[in-house]
Amino acid sequence: MQTESDYYALFEAYERGELAPPARTGLEARLAADPDLALRYADFSELTGTLRAVGQRRALRQQLRGLHAEMLAAATEKQPVADAPAPGPLRATVNPLLRISRTERVLREFWSGHRATVGVAASVAVLAVFGSLLGLEWWRAANTKPSMYGYTVLRRELSKLQSNQRALRQQLVGGAGGAPGAPVNNGKFSGTGFALTADGYLVTSYHVIQGADSLLIEGRDQQRYHAETVYSDRAHDLAILRIKDRDFNGFGRLPYTFKAGQADLGERVYTLGYPREDMVYGDGALSARSGFGGDTAFYQVSIPVNPGNSGGPLLDEHGNLIGVVSGRQSDAQSAAFATKSSLLLRLVDSLAKKQPAAPYHLPHTNRLAGTPRPQQIKKLQDFVFVVKVFEKD
Amino acid sequence: MSRGDSSSSFSSSTPLVPAPDEALIAAIRSGDERALAQLYRLHWPMVSHFVLQNSGSDDDAQDVYQEGVMVFYEKVRDGSLELNCQIKTYLYAVCRRLWLKRLTSKSRFGVRLQDDDDLGPLHHTGAEDDLLAAEEQDRRFTTMSEALDHLGEPCRSLLEGFYLLDKSMQALTAEFGYTNADNAKNQKYKCLVRLKKLFFAHYKEAPL
Repeated sequence: MQTESDYYALFEAYERGELAPPARTGLEARLAADPDLALRYADFSELTGTLRAVGQRRALRQQLRGLHAEMLAAATEKQPVADAPAPGPLRATVNPLLRISRTERVLREFWSGHRATVGVAASVAVLAVFGSLLGLEWWRAANTKPSMYGYTVLRRELSKLQSNQRALRQQLVGGAGGAPGAPVNNGKFSGTGFALTADGYLVTSYHVIQGADSLLIEGRDQQRYHAETVYSDRAHDLAILRIKDRDFNGFGRLPYTFKAGQADLGERVYTLGYPREDMVYGDGALSARSGFGGDTAFYQVSIPVNPGNSGGPLLDEHGNLIGVVSGRQSDAQSAAFATKSSLLLRLVDSLAKKQPAAPYHLPHTNRLAGTPRPQQIKKLQDFVFVVKVFEKD
Repeated sequence: MSRGDSSSSFSSSTPLVPAPDEALIAAIRSGDERALAQLYRLHWPMVSHFVLQNSGSDDDAQDVYQEGVMVFYEKVRDGSLELNCQIKTYLYAVCRRLWLKRLTSKSRFGVRLQDDDDLGPLHHTGAEDDLLAAEEQDRRFTTMSEALDHLGEPCRSLLEGFYLLDKSMQALTAEFGYTNADNAKNQKYKCLVRLKKLFFAHYKEAPL
């Protein structure tokens, strides 16, 4: 019995042609007759063949590495010679692109590896930026009122504390004979108003009565009336009220008239108003014939005004009413604005035309002209009121 | 092919002139090392450009190109090469396929390659089939190398010396200190038997 290695010796001798002719034919005959032996021989051939092929492969790999190194050496040594073999069909763009710096290669690798991620991130960022910008802009446009930044309207917010104090004081002062059951004042805002006609029409600013549920007019001597809004003009910040109390029987003759024309720059003007519980006088000059943002419906006056002055009358030296105090510029010194009286007159005219049945009897005679300022104020003060605004909660 | 037909007189003494394909193949088949060197130099820029353009490094290009040249060379030496396009196109197709495979194994995303357009269609180059065969071959070689590694000394060196490095039995006898050539031969056969077991155990059981 032959061992496997003996067979291998035999096979190798056979492959090398070292067997004597009789042994050779004998082996060939056995190979043809014995499938086991044939299989063994096939395995042997495959094994040795693969071994040799592995050897060749290693040699070839070595050779190619050598070739490559040689080629690179030649390329660095003799640039033009290395380029010369490039045949016609090679595109001209091929060679220049071959030399890429190390940094560029790193960048290229990074880019090719993360191209998709970078793209997604960039588009998300762009969308987020523009989305939030547009959203903010839209939100701001939807939320900001047309009223301009820097412009402060001068209606006064009444705090609960103040009103309670006032109610207390009223009870103390008027305890003897006044109105004992005076309702606790819980008005939300207050402004100033003044008589338009003797028979119960008043003027104030639109923003004072804006959102009002009910209105209370209070005079200097604690007289009180309920009022209703007749007309309001938001653009010019004007409102016309009417006293609706049955027992009201007129303000008496109005001492001032309404100026139909424009007042002149530099005129001495003054106002009366209720920025606090007591009437406050303020004076200054007419400093511009246009209002905030160049609005020609308003004057600019240099009177220090405060919340609560809104709706107050603006008068010139001769006692002509030339405007209605409306607001001030918050970022400028002593720049107050007042609606021009000409606009008020135009408004009254248009109202009178609409309702000829209820005419407006505007005052015609001025009883203030020629009198000194304190006298004027004495005559005037009975026609200037606090307008208190109640809102539905 | 068209260029190959026009001139068949190739003289290996002028290696810098690009030889027509057929003559070059004939020279390589006959074992002319300079022809192989020329082939190697000739097509390196194209493959290197291709790999660099498709997010590969210089080393990648070299690996891919040598792999491709090896496939080509072995087919030529076998005489089993059936070339129906230019060598250049064939090499390009082979290297492109190789690089595509490496890229897809590396990348999470789908890979799109930028091609040189002036090489004509790459579908009928036979590169795909040749590569499949070459892969099978590769697997055989890797298994063999692993089997050799598992064999242990001195069997490994003995077999490598005889079969891989083509040393004579006499030289090996002297190198390994056997008393005579017959001893060495017997040892070699025993080693071969062990190698056979290792090799076929791994090669046959590996999935195809």
